[in-house]
Amino acid sequence: MNGPPGNDNIVLSAAALSKVYQRGRQQVRALDNISFEVRRGEFVAIVGPSGAGKTTLLNLIGCMDAPTSGTLCFLGKPVQDLTEQQRTRLRREQLGFVFQHFSLLPTLTVAENVGLPALFAQSKAEPRVSELLAKVGLTHRRDHRPHELSGGEMQRAAFARALMNQPPLLLADEPTGNLDTATGEAIIALFQQLNREGLTIIVATHNPVLAQAAGRSLELADGKLRDTVA
Amino acid sequence: MESSQLRAMAFAYRTLAFGLLSGFGLRISDFAMTWFQLAVKEWQRRPLRTVVTATGVALATATLFSLLSFQDGYREGVSHELERLGAHVLVAPKGCPYDAASMALHGASWSCYLKERYLEEVRAVPGVATAAPVFMAALYGDEGTQTVYVGVETNILALKRGWQITGKFPQEPDGVLAGSEAARRYKWRLGERVALPGLRGSMGTVNGILAPTQGADDTFIFLGLPDAQRLFKHPNELTHILVRLDDPKDLDGTVRQLRGCDAGLAMNVIPLAHVFRTIQSLVNSTRALLGCVGLVAMLVAGAGVSNALLMAVAERTREIGTMRALGASPGNIFRLIWLETVQVCLSGGVAGIAAAFLASRAVETWVRSKLPFAPTDALLRWEWWLAMACLGCALVLGSLAGLVPAWRAARVSPMRAMRTGGGWV
Repeated sequence: MNGPPGNDNIVLSAAALSKVYQRGRQQVRALDNISFEVRRGEFVAIVGPSGAGKTTLLNLIGCMDAPTSGTLCFLGKPVQDLTEQQRTRLRREQLGFVFQHFSLLPTLTVAENVGLPALFAQSKAEPRVSELLAKVGLTHRRDHRPHELSGGEMQRAAFARALMNQPPLLLADEPTGNLDTATGEAIIALFQQLNREGLTIIVATHNPVLAQAAGRSLELADGKLRDTVA
Repeated sequence: MESSQLRAMAFAYRTLAFGLLSGFGLRISDFAMTWFQLAVKEWQRRPLRTVVTATGVALATATLFSLLSFQDGYREGVSHELERLGAHVLVAPKGCPYDAASMALHGASWSCYLKERYLEEVRAVPGVATAAPVFMAALYGDEGTQTVYVGVETNILALKRGWQITGKFPQEPDGVLAGSEAARRYKWRLGERVALPGLRGSMGTVNGILAPTQGADDTFIFLGLPDAQRLFKHPNELTHILVRLDDPKDLDGTVRQLRGCDAGLAMNVIPLAHVFRTIQSLVNSTRALLGCVGLVAMLVAGAGVSNALLMAVAERTREIGTMRALGASPGNIFRLIWLETVQVCLSGGVAGIAAAFLASRAVETWVRSKLPFAPTDALLRWEWWLAMACLGCALVLGSLAGLVPAWRAARVSPMRAMRTGGGWV
């Protein structure tokens, strides 16, 4: 779903973004001069073969790493030169993450996992936790530990956790990578539902069905971008 | 150490306090309690490793607590025994073993004797209030048991002011005054005619039974001095003389005069205050050594704690990266790991003190078997302030041991959450 045009509606913009890793004497150019924009309410898939730079791009967008060159703006503010403290705060307040391997803490219950971002933000977990569990259909599993859940249930719990602090942007790295086809389709449906509700979503994926479900794809190859509109 | 880490440690101490208070039902801060609970839940990940780690701290704390309690108990015990003896100076025969004071306190067989006529010279020294002659002999049974006979005169009562006698002090031939423990052991009753243990064919009449003194006197059998000298075939001889002074402050002067009298060359004049000071000096000098032993035990335990937490951080790297990706700051992570360390060490400390308390009887029995002249009082002296101090050591241990693992954890990049592989849910 695309929002109305205009700079106010741009959630994320990258200009000449590059990321170079130093491996001994060798330089590895993971991203090379990438420019793109993501508008509010868009559902964007970053696609490409392994080693194309998808995770690297997600790391930069997620403010977990800083670019070597270029600019990256989130909600109109440049983030490439933020301090670690500022980046942490941005992740806490403005971004939600869903990981391929779910990354739920095994010693916590589902409800406690979902409420974890609230602990970091020093805000109250309830009633938001209950609302989110109801939204993803896990109310009946709130007191279970992750090892008692199926893959789909764990990924839904991860979704709920990612939405805890009501971020304007949701990032997902191979969210269906560890799921079977049927479960993956259910997760894709959840993505679409959240997008319909207005959430801006960027996913990195190999899954063609998920890429198809997104409104737009950013195709990466060898660190370079070829924009494809679905 | 960076200021952010110091702030994280301070917040963690506050969290620990809030968490502990919350455990008592005082809900102070939801967030502090949640951090506390989050740290506690991590113990469940590897319960065996947590138990083993805490056990190391418990053993070290128990060792430190027991060692320090022993020192205080031993010193107090010796002090009480010397008070119960009632004398300021012990006059023993020359050539007797250096531990004559301990023999006089606990009972033993003597290898040398004083001539009874020395008693008059001792009594003639100015400053001597009472000089009580004593003839002591010990008989040893087949099972290693000891029966101690002590021949005394009536003036012993001037020294033994704490004695409470049921019946009377023996003043006729064959009269016996039994210590409470001796009477119980041989099942003696007041007025009973009894066979004297170890002295075949000898009989005595139980004229009196001592109320418990909590000291060695409880195990002794007191006879009239002439009876003791006769039974053990040492007429006109003594094993030692107990001297009480008019003014204990004039101890050194009186001792000088006792040593200077005609019989002085044949006597060992032992000021008991000096004995106590010597013992105290020895105890103090061993305090540093025993303290080092305890501290080494704590350091070893601390290294074990640090190692266990470093392993835990290594295992949880991606999980920590996830928390960072979700918005946890390096200070949050530092606090969490450090709090876990402190919790383990505090738990181990509490368990160690409890274990030392429960095992104290067994420990004391073992120590007595190694120290033949140990005071009869309890050797391990339990003080709440000592327990709190040892717990404080465990807390400091945890604080220091947690620094490196917490620092390592705080440095984990949030990108670790994106890495594939690993065993996380």
